[in-house]
Amino acid sequence: MSPLSGRALAAAALAALLVACGGPGATSGSSAGGTPARTPSSSVPPAAKSVPAVGRSTPVRLRIPAIGVDTPVMKLGLAADGSVQVPPIAAHDRAGWYEHSPTPGRRGPSVFLGHVTVGAYGDGVFRHLAELHRGEKIVTRLENGTAAVFAVTDVRTVAKADFPSDEVYGNVNRPELRLITCGGKRTGAGYLDNVIVFAALSSASP
Amino acid sequence: MRRTGLSAMALACTAVLAGALPAFADGAKTAPSPVPTATQAPSSAPSATPSASTAPSAVPSAAPTRAPSSGQVSVVPSGAPNTGVVPPASDSSNTGALVGGGAAAAVVLGGGAVFLVRRRQANGA
Repeated sequence: MSPLSGRALAAAALAALLVACGGPGATSGSSAGGTPARTPSSSVPPAAKSVPAVGRSTPVRLRIPAIGVDTPVMKLGLAADGSVQVPPIAAHDRAGWYEHSPTPGRRGPSVFLGHVTVGAYGDGVFRHLAELHRGEKIVTRLENGTAAVFAVTDVRTVAKADFPSDEVYGNVNRPELRLITCGGKRTGAGYLDNVIVFAALSSASP
Repeated sequence: MRRTGLSAMALACTAVLAGALPAFADGAKTAPSPVPTATQAPSSAPSATPSASTAPSAVPSAAPTRAPSSGQVSVVPSGAPNTGVVPPASDSSNTGALVGGGAAAAVVLGGGAVFLVRRRQANGA
């Protein structure tokens, strides 16, 4: 009994060990959580109201208290294919400012981009961008020490195939802000939608 | 009798290992996380447009690939930004389930084989 059953037990244990150790370790929990595809009522920007003048200065920091964002800002240009560059994929990714757009506080749409997720690193800096509501505050700190404060006017989730370039990059008659990330359904290749936050300058501090 | 028990054990182990092999292959294949396009580090200077004209100047032109416009956004990018790299969680969770299932099957089969051998020995003794 003992030699045979011992051998059998050892063989079974060996088989179990081989199978259990072969695979990769425990998966990092998918913090997926479907992005709510909210499409609030669009707001037509009202006529330009008097806003304090903000000097032209590169943004260095972006803060969105409602969703816990406080990030340094890097400059982004154009990629070789003519699309906008995006921040690098990293553990603590940053937001980026598109350098061919006006600086925050100047008339026109100042465009910022950030990742919603950064692959194996998990959530990106703009993970909760779609949860912003109208009126919530966005603070941009500029290189010259001033701050331009914006209020959210609209949050949209749009299909990438129908990206509204005119509304994002087109001329406006007041200082505005655009925050862009990805959202919507995920496929193996990435996200199908973009989340775009529209905001208008509400105040500026020296 | 012993021969029968050992044969049963060998058969069970072979079956379990054979069933686990696809999981290994799948895991090894999907181990490197796919990072499609976003790894491109943003360079401060956009790539110079190769013009078919004169010799290249010493200082690369900072002109983007798209002509500047007179709008507030001086160069409008094309297409939608790719601001999200999907976490590889779904793939690895499938692989994890396969491996977990294989391990469980191995334990069950091994236990069954031990039980079978002991019972045969008890009957024979």
